[in-house]
Amino acid sequence: MAIAGFYLRRLYTIFKGEVLVLPSRVVVFLFFLAVLFLPIVTQDPYLLRILILTSIFAILAASWDLLSGFTGQLNFGHALFFGVGAYTSALLNLHARIPPSGSIPLGALAAVLAGLIIGIPCLRLRGTYLALTTLAFPIILMGIVFAIPSITGGELGVSGLDRLSRSRVSDYYITVVLMLGLCTIMWKITDSNTGVIFHAIREDELAVRTAGINTTRYKLLAFSLSGFFAGIAGGLYAHFMRIAGPSTLEVSMSFTVVIWAVFGGIVTIYGPVGAVFILFPVLEFLRFWPEFRMLMFAVVILFILLYMPDGLLPWLRDKIEEECPRCKIRNVATRKTCRVCTAPLD
Amino acid sequence: MKRFGFVLGVLLAVCLVMTIGSPAWGAKVIKIGVIGPMKFVQGKGHWNGATLAAEEINAKGGIQVGKKKMKIELVKADSNEFLSMTDATNAMELAITRHKVDFLVGGFRTEAVLAMQDIAMDYKKIFIGCGAAHPKLCTRVAQNYDRYKYWFRGTPFNSMYLARTCFIHMATVGAILKKMLNIPKVKVAIVAEKAMWVDPMVAAAKGFIPKMGMEVAGIWRPSAVATDVTAELSAIQRAGAHMIFTTFSSSVGITFARQAGELKIPAAQVGINVEAQKDGFWDATEGMGNYVMTMNTYARGVEYNELTAPFVDKYIKKFAEVPTYTADTYAAIIYTLAPTIEEAGTLDADKLVAVLENRECMVPSGKIRYTKDTEGRHLHDLKWGPGYLTSLGTQWQDGKLKGVWPNRWKASKDAPEITYKGIVPYKIAPWIIDKYKK
Amino acid sequence: MIIDIIISGLINGSVYALLAIGFSLIFGVARIVNIAHTAFYMVASYCIYYATHQMGVHPVLAMLVAIGLVTLIGLICYKLFIDPIREHEAAVLIATIALAIAMQEIMLLIFTGDFLSVPALVTGYLKIFEVKIAYQQLLTFAVALLILAGVWALLKKTRLGLAVRSTAQDREVANLMGMNESRVAMMTMAVSVGLAAFAGAVVVPLSVVHPHMWMHPLIMMMAVVVLGGLGSLKGSFVGAYILGLAESLVVFLIPMGAFLKGSVALSIMILVLLIRPEGLFGVAFEEER
Repeated sequence: MAIAGFYLRRLYTIFKGEVLVLPSRVVVFLFFLAVLFLPIVTQDPYLLRILILTSIFAILAASWDLLSGFTGQLNFGHALFFGVGAYTSALLNLHARIPPSGSIPLGALAAVLAGLIIGIPCLRLRGTYLALTTLAFPIILMGIVFAIPSITGGELGVSGLDRLSRSRVSDYYITVVLMLGLCTIMWKITDSNTGVIFHAIREDELAVRTAGINTTRYKLLAFSLSGFFAGIAGGLYAHFMRIAGPSTLEVSMSFTVVIWAVFGGIVTIYGPVGAVFILFPVLEFLRFWPEFRMLMFAVVILFILLYMPDGLLPWLRDKIEEECPRCKIRNVATRKTCRVCTAPLD
Repeated sequence: MKRFGFVLGVLLAVCLVMTIGSPAWGAKVIKIGVIGPMKFVQGKGHWNGATLAAEEINAKGGIQVGKKKMKIELVKADSNEFLSMTDATNAMELAITRHKVDFLVGGFRTEAVLAMQDIAMDYKKIFIGCGAAHPKLCTRVAQNYDRYKYWFRGTPFNSMYLARTCFIHMATVGAILKKMLNIPKVKVAIVAEKAMWVDPMVAAAKGFIPKMGMEVAGIWRPSAVATDVTAELSAIQRAGAHMIFTTFSSSVGITFARQAGELKIPAAQVGINVEAQKDGFWDATEGMGNYVMTMNTYARGVEYNELTAPFVDKYIKKFAEVPTYTADTYAAIIYTLAPTIEEAGTLDADKLVAVLENRECMVPSGKIRYTKDTEGRHLHDLKWGPGYLTSLGTQWQDGKLKGVWPNRWKASKDAPEITYKGIVPYKIAPWIIDKYKK
Repeated sequence: MIIDIIISGLINGSVYALLAIGFSLIFGVARIVNIAHTAFYMVASYCIYYATHQMGVHPVLAMLVAIGLVTLIGLICYKLFIDPIREHEAAVLIATIALAIAMQEIMLLIFTGDFLSVPALVTGYLKIFEVKIAYQQLLTFAVALLILAGVWALLKKTRLGLAVRSTAQDREVANLMGMNESRVAMMTMAVSVGLAAFAGAVVVPLSVVHPHMWMHPLIMMMAVVVLGGLGSLKGSFVGAYILGLAESLVVFLIPMGAFLKGSVALSIMILVLLIRPEGLFGVAFEEER
């Protein structure tokens, strides 16, 4: 009892010292709570459906950020990973009768392979060349999909897949927990040594190479990691929609991912996730004015870019938090002095 | 800032009332969800046909369900299915769970309809498909009857019969070419957009054309949204084709017809060209689509039975265009759903399915009967043939879409000749005559 | 057969060349990847449609009006949405995507998703070696050559061209030498958008007008530009004809796979990039610091 009390108190102290001090962390904490406990409040299947799809796309957007945001390898064909993941898990499920718990990870592995296959030629390309070249890959794969309809089902796609789980609520928990877990993992990766190297490659690849780091290997690692997470998103999508079709490979899919990520703020991981959680439901609720839906979407993005070119979430974060000029630790904007080194903030 | 918060609050409250409030009105009415790509011609057809049906039924006081009369309320669901699959499934879920629709009609793009079908079946809602032709939608019913029995095909009949009708058109036009121009062996170029629904038709055409005493000049598969087919056209001309068997459902139909007309390719176009079924085709091809023939469901002045003319006239009067086949939501509601509900006297989906699958009903485009597969399992697919659904062959003749088939058509050797009211003879394009007439 | 392939390849290539030159120009000078380039081409087609079908204006006049109007729209969009964020390369990319979507949606609202068309400037066809070519296609071919000559003359013979070329070489130094870099960028933008509109005016009578018509040419155009080397006009021109020929080769040699022509063209692009990462005529990368 006493031990339990001790740990509880310790937990509380950590919570108070690490989470409550910064509004952004409180927001993240509340976000975790909200998505995890939502089904207790409502089990409306339509709402859950929207949130499930939102979670899936959040994984996808975050995985784009991991590759393109952090290493600066602008990938305009992210739909490739998504589509490969979706098609692979769909085919495995349909023909080899592998349940979703196996087919989704295998789909993700296939996406890793795809990441390696396109990563190797793309290593030689940079910037805009890379962006425009990667754009081509999903289109080529789409051509292949249409060329072998006996396997891929052509424009029908692969349908009749197993459900993710029995009920909508458990579907919800599977995707949401995966989303929270995978995004945390991605965030941790970017926070690790590897993440620092990724970031350094973006800033100055030559300098990283001079420091004796094999940037090629790290870039390939970024491609395959990103492919893995996007592949999981694709597999989840296929099993949730119960169909994997060519729409997963469309150019608009690749574009949407980029828009989400840039809207939320790249090089953050949390930015794209937040952006999907804002934009996807908003687009859905704009069904009240269906004609203006996409137009408003586009205009909002134009204005966001104009007034907060680093993205919405970092902009918000900078409004409520301030970085200590001396020790680089973040503080609530209302504080006069830094919470660690007591240097004055201004 | 405070002001802004207030406005935001009011807006949110309004949204909430709109979402929560709407199902509350639906206690005494039958709600029918009309789902389709509402920004496109197909969706507009779905919606227009449905509104026409609802107005007619409501003008008569509604549908007799058991003892009470219930009016119809339509729910418009924009599936946006050409652009986004997720939008399509979300719209379906929204219509069923929020708007609490009792029945669904519509759907067009097969990939989306398959996904939407699954959702409708999850909630055990009767879904009458009015757009997708793929047989798979119906074989699902046979394979898993308990789950998929709520699906019915409304229009068009499945692509196997589409092919069959097209072959009859081809044979008819082939015979005319042969007779008028003394062509000993007619060569046919098969041009089909690259799409799954076309694949079985192409395979069948390749096997069937020689059996009809004609010759295959080659097969071309342009993309469904190709913007330039001049390369294909010059290859077709080089192959010496007299006739082009087209299967297009998308914009390539316009491009192909326009460029073929511009270059005066001496080959008659027969087959399916969905764009050519629309009134806008003449303008969209700048008149270059003259003499294009396509399978069609409705045409001005052509009557299958006594129901056709009232429907087509009303539709033209109200929407100023000829109904395309997606507007058959009209028939699905007024001739299929409504009488079934009245007959069963209930809105219970399982009971309705039992009544519906054995019903036979007249619709403006013929007679509807649901088929079974070879093992006797229900398919909920449509029966094709004389007396049932046959569709029309229509040809653009100097700015007007005229019905040209069935013109004294015999389904078999000793079947009676069929000619629908309002059919005119087929015309051969003058440049084809110039090229081959000796 | 070979003649067929060459002729239809040349005509296809001209269409891509017309689009790619404008795209390449603005990238070379201002480092702007303008995804909305083909959206301007779409807007121009709609302008012509509106002028000819709704107002009954003569096609040639409609074409001139459309080019003027679209150039103006392009400049306004540039001033409002692109100029302020030019420092962020990724943001510019997204902004142009958003612009393209916005234009698509506006056209969808005004004209709905129906397929429309515009009248040809010249009708009829010509027979060359038994191959029928519509006059409109010949016009496209001729115009593509003329435009290239025009752009070349503009760049090499005028003061503006000198400014453009020096800005393309080094923005900062050009600025230091007293050139108004942002004015040069704006002029280039005007020329580029004007070219897109012009391409629309010439090409569109052969195909269909609809709000999503910008997607397919966009991808082909990008492939052309990347293949030829970003920012190199000569490269864009050569790239356009290579891909045009590749497409018609696919159509003639594997008619069953005509739908693959896009994929094949893109694969060629990737193959070339594997050997020459900077494209055919692109400048080899310097290590940018």
